[in-house]
Amino acid sequence: MWTTEPSLNQKHLTCPFCGLACDDLSITPGDRGIESLDPKCDKAKQGFRLALQAVSRGPRSNGAPVSMEVALQQSVQLLKSARAPLFAGLATDVNGMRATLELADRCGGVLDHLNGDAMFRNIRVVQDNGWVACTLSEARNRADLILIIGTQCFDRFPRFVDRVLLPRESLFSPKAGRHLVMLGPWQNNRLPATLKDYAPITLHAHPSQWADVAGMLRARLGNRPVDSGRLGGQLAEGVEELARLLREAKYSVITWSAAELTFPHAELVIERWAALARDLNQTTRSSVLPLAGNQGDITSNQVCTWQTGYPLRTSLQYGYPVHDSRLFRYQDLIENNTADLLIWISSLDPEAKPPACDLPTIVFGHPGMELGQEVEVFLPVGVPGVDHTGHGYRSDTVCTLPLGQLIERGLPSAATLLRTLLDRLGD
Amino acid sequence: MLIKLSGGTVYDPANGIDGRVMDLFIRDQHLVEPPADNEPIDQHYPLEGKVVMAGAIDLHTHIGGGKVNIARTLLPEQQPAYSRPRAGRMRSGSGGIAPSTHATGYRYAEMGYTTCFEPALLPVNARQAHMEMADTPLLDTGGYALLGNDEFLLQLIAEGAEQQTINDYVAWTLRASQCIGVKVVNPGGISAFKFNQRALDVDDVHPHYPISPRDILRTLSRALHQLGVPHPLHVHASNLGVPGNYLSTLATMDAAEGLPIHLTHIQFHSYGTEGDRKFSSCAAQIAEAVNRQANISIDVGQIMFGQTVTVSGDTMRQYANHGHAHPRKWLCMDIECEAGCGVVPFRYRDRNFVNALQWAIGLELFLLVDDPWRVFLTTDHPNGAPFTSYPHLIRLLMDRSFRNDMLARIHPDAGASSHLASLDREYSLNEIAIMTRAAPARLLGMTDYGHLAPGAVADLVVYHREGNPEQMFERPMLVFKRGEVVAREGAICASVNGSTHVVRPEYDQGIETRLAEWFARYHSMSLRNFGISDDEMADGIGSPVVIHPCASTSHP
Ligand code: SF4
Ligand SMILES: [Zn+2]
Repeated sequence: MWTTEPSLNQKHLTCPFCGLACDDLSITPGDRGIESLDPKCDKAKQGFRLALQAVSRGPRSNGAPVSMEVALQQSVQLLKSARAPLFAGLATDVNGMRATLELADRCGGVLDHLNGDAMFRNIRVVQDNGWVACTLSEARNRADLILIIGTQCFDRFPRFVDRVLLPRESLFSPKAGRHLVMLGPWQNNRLPATLKDYAPITLHAHPSQWADVAGMLRARLGNRPVDSGRLGGQLAEGVEELARLLREAKYSVITWSAAELTFPHAELVIERWAALARDLNQTTRSSVLPLAGNQGDITSNQVCTWQTGYPLRTSLQYGYPVHDSRLFRYQDLIENNTADLLIWISSLDPEAKPPACDLPTIVFGHPGMELGQEVEVFLPVGVPGVDHTGHGYRSDTVCTLPLGQLIERGLPSAATLLRTLLDRLGD
Repeated sequence: MLIKLSGGTVYDPANGIDGRVMDLFIRDQHLVEPPADNEPIDQHYPLEGKVVMAGAIDLHTHIGGGKVNIARTLLPEQQPAYSRPRAGRMRSGSGGIAPSTHATGYRYAEMGYTTCFEPALLPVNARQAHMEMADTPLLDTGGYALLGNDEFLLQLIAEGAEQQTINDYVAWTLRASQCIGVKVVNPGGISAFKFNQRALDVDDVHPHYPISPRDILRTLSRALHQLGVPHPLHVHASNLGVPGNYLSTLATMDAAEGLPIHLTHIQFHSYGTEGDRKFSSCAAQIAEAVNRQANISIDVGQIMFGQTVTVSGDTMRQYANHGHAHPRKWLCMDIECEAGCGVVPFRYRDRNFVNALQWAIGLELFLLVDDPWRVFLTTDHPNGAPFTSYPHLIRLLMDRSFRNDMLARIHPDAGASSHLASLDREYSLNEIAIMTRAAPARLLGMTDYGHLAPGAVADLVVYHREGNPEQMFERPMLVFKRGEVVAREGAICASVNGSTHVVRPEYDQGIETRLAEWFARYHSMSLRNFGISDDEMADGIGSPVVIHPCASTSHP
């Protein structure tokens, strides 16, 4: 909810702690900030608890407490002397990202998100080929076959089952007629309890086989001769069955969390699955539903895209935007000494800390963030959706949810501080 | 602050002024009556020999919302050639066919545009669209909410709901999404495509609901009329791009049953099936129908040769056309049981028969529709061409010999099968001022915009009078936004932010009970979070609203 009065007693709270952006929460406050959360979600409870319990130690300079004024002055000096500032982390809300972009434009900075690696596995596929995609409500109401690739979606997006896979009601695809197919190394993993009764079809395949499985399915559906036998007995049978289900489905959805695909060239695997969905549309309907949006990655990428014309991993060093998803990876810029100042913005999770490095660093951090290393300047900022209102994007890139303010404890938003720095830098 | 503009030649068709030399006065943000003789003038601009018009208004340009960001994401290789460096306080940007937001605002303002409307705003994506437009400096903006493929409305119509209930839902949608109008794209067709239907003509029945596009058109045009919303139903008709679709277009006009209706990018809907290639111009039939029926207005959606990207809610037609993607990549998305979007890059070629004829058809439509108050200058940016081609388009309309030179360069068979060479009409400056200022303001119900009488908002453009209209409209001498000079000689010199223009017809809030139940059962968002408040617009999104009145509600 967009709120004008801070209060914990609100219904329809939006959760900023994963890309599902659930907006139906209410909090029961307790001694430790939060007694319970309805509906239940451990990840959200943890996120709200850490935010509400955090006791900010105030601005710090090289580890020592300083006044806000001193911290801002030092930040301005660092920004003024930097030739190649790197703006990374970028776990913030829309207005935090708007201010970041304005400052980066002013200072000639490079931009990357802490989830950049995962995000660009998907974006590269769009940049190379495009795809056919859908959104959460569309999958919830229409999908009669959902293929879930990997085993981590349920940990990363805890309410995915209730909200999308098996909702209580659905416009066109009742639970009873839905097929869930789960592709992953499932023999080592436990299915989420919520799925147990439902007995989804599980296919046991190592991630190194996923691309092959997609290729096999495409060939089968395109009536090209292939020998699924080389996948091995059980998996081969499963693939044959899946090919049949996909062909018969009215509307199939293929979903994954790119953060799970940590192996090299994972984008090629995603491309295969996207190609499968694309092919299916020749005769039936099918789309992909990549799960993302954690740590505000979709949010900062969307704002960057409309303000610069490119996704993240864009540099403003030349006075105009230049995009290169391989060149402007923040870890590499730090490693190669290509950057000379790190501005780390991370307001959603106290554990999302800046990487240990020798660069002078300014951190706009979650109030509960404890840094292992001392940084030049640490500025505690409010948590969007807790300390201040804001906007966050959902996984599907379409819905921007309003974030409410729950408490007032004098923590400025990242946007406010970044704009203060901009004003002080002048033209 | 009192500003005097003296001696300019004023074209202000809303007030019947067609090239009259006169003085204008601006006090703060508005045009005012001449002040008392003894009042000191703060700034004086002698404009002898210059042309003065109100700021231009683009009533159909895709400048905000998810589909534009998808186009940007899909086509990074198209952007670098148009990089715009940071200059003073002006932000850097990029993009010729899907420019970044700041670059969009600056370029529009440099060309003398002061207000633009995003015509396909998905209510569920309204926040993003408004945020992007808020980040588009120098322009006032607004959106048309997409309806007519949302399952809620289709179900209402299928159940035979009372018109009053539909009206309440339409009014609620305008309020929730902070819009000024309603658009329907391929009525029912986007939804039908989700059910795997590949075509839906005006009298075909939807695969799930026992209703036709005609029912949707009739219901929605009636709703807007009864709610007193000034802008008529904005329609992207069925069968976009399909040879022979002029019949669907005529049927779409007919479906409004005499109520006001606006058919957008009608060039893409004016095709016949004559000739060896089974593709021909039906501009004459369409123009004749427009001329005959005063309830109809159109914008053209002119194409220009070169690379562009098509962005549309019409997933059914975008999917059908994906084979033409250039470069070979494209994207479609089914969205929230509400609508969809399809992004297909495209290169129009003057040596390609079909493309060349599309170009000619657009111009035929401009020249054959008699009333400049009912035909609007658009390229459906970026679908037909980027908005930056407007000055060139204006020259094509104003300069017959230039037009014929261009005609001689296109595919010869296309030239031969078009009537363009025989059309002598040349638009006058007054007619250009009508179609780019006075008429869009009137059609949108914006009484203080698009004209220069005392009381109007001081959005105003001064042009050098050039022999070549392209040069004239490309690079105005001065552009005022709300009384402030923001561009000189085609270069931005100050940046101000615009507002969001909306209408607020009244409705029975009882509709929210039914909506709340629908949202709770099927949606992935709460009803409470769907709508955008005025506070949120001003403080969070960054664009305060300006509310325009609706006519008092009329019941049949
Ligand atoms: S699933 Fe994600 S968005 Fe929903 S409540 Fe849990 S952490 Fe928050
Ligand atoms: Zn359009």
